[in-house]
Amino acid sequence: MSEHDEDLELQAVQRQLDDAFQTTRPRRGFEDDLWLRMQASRPATNRLRDAIAGLLQGIREVPAVPAAAIATLLVVVIGVGLLAYSGVGRTRGGGGAALSQTAGGESRGSDLAAGDFGRLPSPVFDDGKQVTVPAMTGSPPQFAWSGGLSVGASTAPVYRYREPSTNVADQFASSLGAVLRERPQGVLGSYSTSTYILNIRPTIQRPVAGPTYFIISSPSMPPVDAAGAGPADVATIFLAQHSLVPDWAYAVKVDAGGDPVKVLYARQFDVPGYGAASLVDPNGDRYGVEVDLKGNRPILVTGMLPVSLDAAGYRIVSPDDAIRPLLSARPTNAASPPPTVQLTQAELVYVLVPAGDHSFYEPAYLFSGKAQINGATVTQRVLVAAVDPSQRTG
Amino acid sequence: MLPDRPPFEDMYREFLGRIYAYVRSQVGTSADAEDITAQVFMNAYQAYGRFEARNTTPAAWLFRIARNATLDHFRAHGRRERLRRTIEHQPQVEEDPAGEAEDRIRYRALMAKVAQLSERQRDAISLRHSGLSFDEVGKLMDCSEDAAKMLYHRALRALKDAVQREGV
Repeated sequence: MSEHDEDLELQAVQRQLDDAFQTTRPRRGFEDDLWLRMQASRPATNRLRDAIAGLLQGIREVPAVPAAAIATLLVVVIGVGLLAYSGVGRTRGGGGAALSQTAGGESRGSDLAAGDFGRLPSPVFDDGKQVTVPAMTGSPPQFAWSGGLSVGASTAPVYRYREPSTNVADQFASSLGAVLRERPQGVLGSYSTSTYILNIRPTIQRPVAGPTYFIISSPSMPPVDAAGAGPADVATIFLAQHSLVPDWAYAVKVDAGGDPVKVLYARQFDVPGYGAASLVDPNGDRYGVEVDLKGNRPILVTGMLPVSLDAAGYRIVSPDDAIRPLLSARPTNAASPPPTVQLTQAELVYVLVPAGDHSFYEPAYLFSGKAQINGATVTQRVLVAAVDPSQRTG
Repeated sequence: MLPDRPPFEDMYREFLGRIYAYVRSQVGTSADAEDITAQVFMNAYQAYGRFEARNTTPAAWLFRIARNATLDHFRAHGRRERLRRTIEHQPQVEEDPAGEAEDRIRYRALMAKVAQLSERQRDAISLRHSGLSFDEVGKLMDCSEDAAKMLYHRALRALKDAVQREGV
């Protein structure tokens, strides 16, 4: 082999290493979980000091405020702060129930006004594509579809929500008896109770995720008193104690294979003529509310922030029509035969489509099948938008 | 003028993924990688008051903490962990819980090959592809910049040979 050839091979390995290191990332939510744990590890006195520093910063911008007024205000703030951090004066209002009632109030498809939201933004998955296509070695894969899915509906509801404000986050936190601590950048609010930290995040674009709350338990969080109960029961009791049991349709799945045990309440949307369609992320994974348990003690709850949903009916294409453009795509400049992904199953699902002030939950098809890669059989999933292209932008 | 110390949260958001990838290339499971990454940033958070931007870059500072935390992990878990790392650091098929995309499987296989290099070669590859300069890699590995370059290129050749021999 010539030196030139070897240099080319080394460069190829370097490129693969760059890709490998750039795409190896922790699971979704880890960044926020860890940040909250770090915040929770700070002494309460430090948090209070920061709050006062922030207040003083604000006061400095108002030069006419007399010193005596500042001193009085500080006394009040410190008093309130101490009460808040000691847990005294926390209230558990009924706001949670009211918020929850608005959260699940999606309309039935038969009642919907068709296309009420105008042309919809198209889902954008990884790399700006409107389908998720698993990247293969070398050349793009070819797809074959041999399954069948009868949707039984030509329209499906699309749901829209307004991006929640800090007021909405504050009301949700208040319903849990949590007190505002700070508003870090990119977060609607960070709150605390005597037993956990609550963080509320708005919709984010990458990775696509809707408004989400995170409950990170502190060491003082007591275990759920339910001797003999299974993880799903323990999780449900905890959620019920905090008025957080979803009022939308869901399917419960318990992953007891690891530590912590994870209990997932996977959100579903009802599609008249089809039935329950699961909400999935761009990887095709179901989500909704997840409770992570160590024994009977919840250590982390990650859930969709309750928001009001408007609904409108939209025409959808059949699974066969939705996947057709992908089947007809031919790889270009393929040095070796591309791997073929044999798609055999499909289901109607919902995906989040962020769109600024308002975002949408839109129907999509999740195809799955197998491919042979280097002699191994791997599962592949492909997401394709289901709303008729004529009713979508882009 | 002395360089400003960046806000910790900015450093955290910027480096979390890179630190995780570095740690993941060293240990056997994503759960271990998360635990060690969490420990890295907990340690960094506590030591942040002592971080001086004029003496080192945030990257070099954080990767030193990460390297130490990873070495601590190996010291605590010993040979058994190393063996487990070699065995478990293989691409998962079928059981892959997320049915992950093929590129992830391929990259995981490549990471497995990195994990099978000698400790210093593995470190040189991992630190370099985590975005550090050869000067920073050398300082972290207690050698000169030139020695770091040489070590890296030897490691790269060894990795290429392993890939050609066994495939990814």
